[in-house]
Amino acid sequence: MKYITLIFKNLRRNLIRSGLTAVGVMVLVLVVTLIWSILSFLDKATAEKADNLKGIVSERWTLPSQMPFSYANSLSDGSAREPQDARPTDAMTWQFFGGSLDPKTRSFENSLFAFALEPAKLLTMMDELDNLPAAQRDEFSLTVKKLEETRQGVIVGKTRLAKINRRVGDRITLYGLNYRNLELELEIVGLFPEGRYDSSAAMNRDYLNAALDAYPLTHNGEQHPLALKSLNLVWLRFPDRKVFEEVGQQIAESPFYSSPAVKLETASSGISTFLTAYRDLVWGMRWLLAPAILVTLSLVISNAIGISVRERRMEMAILKVLGFRPNQVLGLILGEALMLGGVAGFLSSTLTYLVVNFWMNGVRFPIAFFGVFYVPDAALWWGLAIGLGTAFVGSLLPAWSTRRVRVIDVFSKVS
Amino acid sequence: MPDQRSLSVSETRSAPSAMVLVDHVSRFFQRGDERLDVLSELFLEIATGEFLALMGPSGSGKTTLLNLIAGLDQPSRGDVWVNQQKVSVMSEAQLAAWRTRNVGFIFQFYHLLPVLTAFENVELPLLLLPMSSKKRIEQVNIALELVGLNNRSKHLPSQLSGGQQQRVGIARAIVTDPALIVADEPTGDLDARSANDILDLLGELKTSLGKTILLVTHDPRAARRADRILYLDKGKLVAEPDASWRDGH
Repeated sequence: MKYITLIFKNLRRNLIRSGLTAVGVMVLVLVVTLIWSILSFLDKATAEKADNLKGIVSERWTLPSQMPFSYANSLSDGSAREPQDARPTDAMTWQFFGGSLDPKTRSFENSLFAFALEPAKLLTMMDELDNLPAAQRDEFSLTVKKLEETRQGVIVGKTRLAKINRRVGDRITLYGLNYRNLELELEIVGLFPEGRYDSSAAMNRDYLNAALDAYPLTHNGEQHPLALKSLNLVWLRFPDRKVFEEVGQQIAESPFYSSPAVKLETASSGISTFLTAYRDLVWGMRWLLAPAILVTLSLVISNAIGISVRERRMEMAILKVLGFRPNQVLGLILGEALMLGGVAGFLSSTLTYLVVNFWMNGVRFPIAFFGVFYVPDAALWWGLAIGLGTAFVGSLLPAWSTRRVRVIDVFSKVS
Repeated sequence: MPDQRSLSVSETRSAPSAMVLVDHVSRFFQRGDERLDVLSELFLEIATGEFLALMGPSGSGKTTLLNLIAGLDQPSRGDVWVNQQKVSVMSEAQLAAWRTRNVGFIFQFYHLLPVLTAFENVELPLLLLPMSSKKRIEQVNIALELVGLNNRSKHLPSQLSGGQQQRVGIARAIVTDPALIVADEPTGDLDARSANDILDLLGELKTSLGKTILLVTHDPRAARRADRILYLDKGKLVAEPDASWRDGH
């Protein structure tokens, strides 16, 4: 306890230096925490599951995937034809509709990008919405029910709703961005629970398909160019990998999906495919940026501790004269670095966790399907670990140099 | 051969009765091809409870001798015994532990830790000993009381005068109840009145507590407080100082 007091008091002796070092540590830990949060989220999303796994059916050779909607029913059934064929336990189709609120000015600020799907699937198939806490699930179920009852309804994320400056209950007209010349009249029936879908929207797929069906009536009998390409993805849920593989085989062997050909892959693999475009960015974040920050962090601490040790060589010698052993003096210096790094790191990650998750409602970093990232609970110990680890590495050399302080040299100068 | 003689004396000698025995000690430093002899075949005994002053010009080897007796350095030849323990054969770790229990240091510039209060500075050596917190507090209070500073125990060194800081230094030196006190120019940084107080206190340590005190000083007035004064010149003890050095002081 007395050692800790001594360490604490030593840190207090130069408050400006200790404070600036702590701020430096906090800023760098903040950046590492954010980078690791994104990487951890992507790792989690692309990690293979052994059971209750999801699969994605998409166009085999083309990105973005654009399949005819006629594939929807049979794919949702896992292309099963016989009663004994393997089937997924649940399925969801995705059709992407992006539209602008203003036909003349089309900008990100006045646009809405919606998943067109069967409303009920929001509660059973959408990541994170399928395992909401009971109270939140009950509340969101009411919103989903409204969407089921309102064919022209749309559920919007909180951030997106604020961005387009509308409220629940408002009616909007969306002028198609990907579906050119297609206008949808929508009513905002509710909000997504706060979190991952803050920037998203979901609408009833029946309305989009009805609008596509009605398109020739107002366009000289011509179909919309995307009429036969409106199904983007089909999500399937499997009880285990065996069923997944059997369904995969059924789909691959089915002659029905020849033009275009389709493929089934696990959700994680599918997401990885989507992330391919960001591969270099993610690699750079993981193997260049984060390590570079950790090295910088070590150097910041090393510099501060190095200066402190140089200033206090006489003090180290006096401690040795009084009977402190080299390892005890080394321990004092390491202790100062560890206390500084550990406390600053922990504070930084805790503040980051609280501010990002509860105040900012996530970090906006649109990549693949993901728009918002949250700091995971594990980050609470990341900061502590980063602070302690970099403090240890950074201070080892200056601390080790105190072992070599020769009492005789310093003492003779005194005499 | 002086080397052989010193070795044979050391090997056969049983623990001496004197508090300090410097047994035909030589200390030299090698700098490239050149050998610098600082102490040569030096023999010195300091009796238990004796107050000895060591004087001599700069470069005479006072500090080297002090380092050897206090267990901060090892002799090149010969042996150093303190309180019946052969200091010259101990490892660095053993010396560190030995110093805590057996030697109290008083420095010219006090060398208190600026971030610690007077109480905490005095407590510092006790942290190295297996001792209950209650006992530690008790001993620190006794030491501070002995130097008349128990009413300043919560002050930082920067809030104390030079004389008071030196008193804290003395309290730190005696708190582990060492048999030997080594004082290196303890009055060198003080005004005459404070210096006098400190010398009175050192005398008190000898008479009341029976401490053996080795005082290294350039100040003849300080040296006169000792029971015995020894002069060191060119690494050897001499009966009287060289006239030129004595006149200079």
